[in-house]
Amino acid sequence: MEQTQNHEVIVTDKVTKIFDPDGIPVNALNGIDLTITSGEFTAIVGPSGSGKTTFLNIISGLDTPTEGKVWLSGKIISEMNGNELSDFRRDNIGFIFQAYNLIPVLTVEENVEYIMLLAGVSKAERHERVKKMLKAVGLEGVEDRLPTQLSGGQQQRVAIARAMVSEPTIILADEPTANLDSKTGNDLLEMMRRLNDETGMTFIFSTHDPMVMDRARRLITLRDGQVDTDETK
Amino acid sequence: MFFILFKLAWRNLLRNKRRTIIASIAIGIGLAALIFVDALMIGMTQNMIKTATASFLGDAQIHRKGYQDEQELSLTIQELDKVTAKLAKEAIVHYFTRRTFSLGMITSPANVSAVNLIGVQPSTERYLSQIDDAITKGVYFKDNDSRDIIIGTKLAENLEIGIEDRVVVTVAQSGSGELSQEGFRVSGIFHFVDEAMNSGMAFVRIKKAQQMFAIGDNVHEIAIKFTSTAYTQERELPFWKTYSQYGNEVLSWAEILPQLKIILDMSKYSKYIMGVVLFGVVIFGIINTLFMSLYERMFEFGVLRAVGTRPVGMARIILFEAGTLAIVSIAIGSIIGFGITALFAHLGLNYTGIEMMGVTIQEYIFPVLNIQQFILYPAAVFLFTIIAGLYPAWHVAKMTPVDAMRRSF
Repeated sequence: MEQTQNHEVIVTDKVTKIFDPDGIPVNALNGIDLTITSGEFTAIVGPSGSGKTTFLNIISGLDTPTEGKVWLSGKIISEMNGNELSDFRRDNIGFIFQAYNLIPVLTVEENVEYIMLLAGVSKAERHERVKKMLKAVGLEGVEDRLPTQLSGGQQQRVAIARAMVSEPTIILADEPTANLDSKTGNDLLEMMRRLNDETGMTFIFSTHDPMVMDRARRLITLRDGQVDTDETK
Repeated sequence: MFFILFKLAWRNLLRNKRRTIIASIAIGIGLAALIFVDALMIGMTQNMIKTATASFLGDAQIHRKGYQDEQELSLTIQELDKVTAKLAKEAIVHYFTRRTFSLGMITSPANVSAVNLIGVQPSTERYLSQIDDAITKGVYFKDNDSRDIIIGTKLAENLEIGIEDRVVVTVAQSGSGELSQEGFRVSGIFHFVDEAMNSGMAFVRIKKAQQMFAIGDNVHEIAIKFTSTAYTQERELPFWKTYSQYGNEVLSWAEILPQLKIILDMSKYSKYIMGVVLFGVVIFGIINTLFMSLYERMFEFGVLRAVGTRPVGMARIILFEAGTLAIVSIAIGSIIGFGITALFAHLGLNYTGIEMMGVTIQEYIFPVLNIQQFILYPAAVFLFTIIAGLYPAWHVAKMTPVDAMRRSF
């Protein structure tokens, strides 16, 4: 494999990750070959220890593979240095975490605009995009509140707005519904599906939640660091 | 970006108010201590210089070259009239007075003692020394009585005499070495904190001393008081060359008492050493505070890294927190430092009678506040705080997002 095609946003080539924390090597990933194309709404599932977390860390550039290569939007991220990776994540990847992980000392508006500040977007444009994004996730009127003044569902909406505001190619979501009640989780999933349809952004979930699996258009099951099944609905 | 970093730093410090307040007070106390010690050192230095110069020494003295070492009676000031005429016109000279010296014996009906007999001009001497202020019994000098002698309390006690009692002083004359004796009547008894002055000095009118020493109208010393003591440090002034001719030399108090000058200079180093020790404590306090705060927010830092904050950006967040902590601490320290120093600058510190660096302190020490203490030391605290923040900042910068988030995805 020489290079990814334009519509292929993530390509992994024999990605292997070996952890060796106490001198005992543990193979977390065993030569994963996967291609994810733009606009997918994909769930990566599997039992604990199957390698979901490690796989998402590697395709997002948060961690590096022991062997193999990862192409993201046509670039080999496994060969980028710290600053290049930071910039690449800033411009191409949006993260949604299980525990929301908003910056507690920043207001909703400041949390959402932080990534744009890093990218040097002008104040007026930042304000405009934050407003638009908060409207899209149904959070108008809470711009000046701190995360602790919001419910779990509202915080996760802010996290989605933060992930999407810089218009990245890919949204990576780690168990986004795990801390939410089923109704709120369902509403958020509906919203993400709608945003996926409207914007064409690629959504990749790591999940155990059957609701997420139901809504995913592609389901990749990992087992013992390898792709066990890969089905498209 | 600057504004959001400052907001992040400030709000993060407010997240754990108690810890921030304790850390700020600790740093602030360090700064306040530095301000106070600096003010105290200035006050002490001024006090000691004043004690050394105002009691008797003067700001500067003119002697015949070699007199300071040999104390030879014949080594009187050359071209005295020219020298005094020039001094009278010198703009930086406030007052000057002539003196003569000789070692001798002073005898009372009860006892005998060695004495340094000093001939002075009463009218001008009072501007140069504090003998008149130190009189505890009797008077300074009576109108024109050439037989007046003023002695110290200890000498009076040794000789078992009081006011109006008679004494006989014996000295060796210049040149011939023949003994000269004169009778005097005690007109005043002085008391300085310095016991050496109380037991070993006796003052008579200069004319009588010149007769006894057989030195004509000559003198051994001209003591000078400048309009500002700062002139003693300004060696480039023509004054110092002008009066170091005709075989004479002019010396500042620092040259007459070099040991005091050296020790005062050394006291500056002790201040710097104390500063380094205090800043060392401050640095470790800041590092500890920042690391505690950092480990509490590890996942948050992981998120910031994950969403695209560069390593240098992460370091900047920590440095902004360190800087903000420094600003808060400087405000606290400056207020405490100003308050305590101003209080003691008003009340003074009683070190009287204590001998320090070879000088017996005679007056309360008043710490001296100056603007530099509120510029230099706060700037140093800020700089040291930023330096202290470099280590945690580097620690955060080199952290990978995965390490920071631990559980990550």
